[in-house]
Amino acid sequence: MNPDATATAMPPATELSADRLTLGYDAEPVVRDVSVTVPPGRITAIVGANGSGKSTLLRGLAQLMRPRRGAVLLDGQDIARLATKTLARRLGLLPQQPLAPDGITVADLVGRGRHPHQRWFRHHTGADDAAITAAMESTGITHLAERPVDELSGGQRQRAWLALALAQDPDVMLLDEPTTHLDLAHQIDLLELLTDLNAALGRTTLLVLHDLNLAGRYAHHLVAVKDGRIVAEGPPAEVLQPDTIESVFSLNCAVIDDPLTGTPIVLPRPPSGDRRGG
Amino acid sequence: MTAKDTVAVRVARGAVVFRLQRRSALLTSMLWLCALTLAVAALGLGEFDLRLADTLRVLGGGGTLIEYDVVVRDRLPRVVTGLGVGAAFAVSGAILQRIAANPLVSPDVIGVNAGASFGALLVMTVAGGAGASLVLGALAGALLTSAAIVLIALNRGLNGYRLVLVGIGIAAMLSSAISYLLVRADYHQVLSAASWLTGSLANRGTLHVTIVLVALAVAVPVLLVLGRHLRILELGDDLARTLSGGTTRVRLALITTAVVLAAMATAAAGPIGFIALVAPQITRRLLAGRPVTLGPAAAAGALLVTGADLVARLLFAPTELPVGAVTGVLGAPVLLYLLARANRIGHTG
Repeated sequence: MNPDATATAMPPATELSADRLTLGYDAEPVVRDVSVTVPPGRITAIVGANGSGKSTLLRGLAQLMRPRRGAVLLDGQDIARLATKTLARRLGLLPQQPLAPDGITVADLVGRGRHPHQRWFRHHTGADDAAITAAMESTGITHLAERPVDELSGGQRQRAWLALALAQDPDVMLLDEPTTHLDLAHQIDLLELLTDLNAALGRTTLLVLHDLNLAGRYAHHLVAVKDGRIVAEGPPAEVLQPDTIESVFSLNCAVIDDPLTGTPIVLPRPPSGDRRGG
Repeated sequence: MTAKDTVAVRVARGAVVFRLQRRSALLTSMLWLCALTLAVAALGLGEFDLRLADTLRVLGGGGTLIEYDVVVRDRLPRVVTGLGVGAAFAVSGAILQRIAANPLVSPDVIGVNAGASFGALLVMTVAGGAGASLVLGALAGALLTSAAIVLIALNRGLNGYRLVLVGIGIAAMLSSAISYLLVRADYHQVLSAASWLTGSLANRGTLHVTIVLVALAVAVPVLLVLGRHLRILELGDDLARTLSGGTTRVRLALITTAVVLAAMATAAAGPIGFIALVAPQITRRLLAGRPVTLGPAAAAGALLVTGADLVARLLFAPTELPVGAVTGVLGAPVLLYLLARANRIGHTG
């Protein structure tokens, strides 16, 4: 799981960036004047406390919110000027709590990712079938194709939504807290899958993660957000420093190297002494 | 939609490909076949009975003058209006149910029918109008109400949930206004109003047929082009926007189509209850994966209205019931069943 171990012989990956981006619903902006470049072809994790604006930043980059000021750029081009159809083929999304239509099967759900590649007079073609099959295969849900999504376990369901985004075949994949409702084993499972997909396809991937240790292990690049601004950015080993974590999360902690992977591990310090008694 | 359940219809060497789901196409054809059979039967049945062969002969241009009068002048507009409004109500309900991701939504719930009723009653009681002016009053009432609902709900993008809440509010206001009009109307006006408010196919003519056929002729091409977006809209706002760029315009166009269909159908036949709600829900239970689909729902709506009207005409002959009374009696138990099985909003078993 060496963060630097990515293949080199791949088509150039897409660069997503924000240029002095300000986002917000009401008078008070949630994301203020943020400029950031998501490294092409890598996995980037946005970390930050609850309410820090990390999901809002992801939503802004996904064009789900109109910028109050500034712009989102895709390979240097202002995303607001791209044709909506083009954009729909280039950005993929796994929402925080996606809702599947009642009774829909896995194959049907995954097939809906092909929407931007279809026209009203040209439904489902061979290319669509191939993309759907490949997406289900790479997420390991081929055997579930005819099962209703509401009958799947949490981990399987998350894979089905991921397969939808893969079938869309976007240049950039955005995932909003993809591990939130999963147990630890399924969190690892999903992040391993994302790592494999990233290594195989070299697709620019950006996700919001809560767990700093998982972010440190699976992301190549971390972006730490506090009060709508970026306070630190870089490889996990640089960002996950005790003083940075203290300022971002107001958490007093120590950082050690993971004996298994060498990636940083954050250990919160107990307030004073061990209060569990003896 | 997987390839193996579908048939591809290819035109122009693969540049145009439509996929039909086998089971859905089969269901649609069977329901239309039943609806048309009932329709032909309805042309022959009644106080002036005709055998099937005679009915077909009259339709082909033969038969006596009186047979022609009964079948073509009297019963044909009624039957065609019935088929049309059934399909229109059902498609309207199916679109709204998918956009709101809620099986309990229909144009009656969001106030379209109340708007039509208010318009019709205003013409009937205040202006003393009847016939064509009544139909136009209903049409104007329904369209104005729909426009108001959509405009109020449009605030910051159009979301299905807000559409329903706004619609329920407006429907409640209109039903008070309807009560007021009924209270101040005279006895004879109240009698004809009661029949109109139930939904009736009696005495339909060219005007009614034209209204409902125009509605369908406009809606079908729009849905042919935009219908596929329903598959995306029901995945929720975020994913819909990611997969299709802007969604507000498509959503607005689909909701407008749905309310205009219901408005025109109500103008043509009165607010026939439950068809919009029940037809999509019946057909989805007959399809794998339980999707709400437009084609099968339209056929089911046409069949339900045609069947209900036949029952309404024949059950207590020579006294006719308004068709809305029969759809209400049939529809209410289905609604209760759906409510009983709904375990959370947006999901039914």
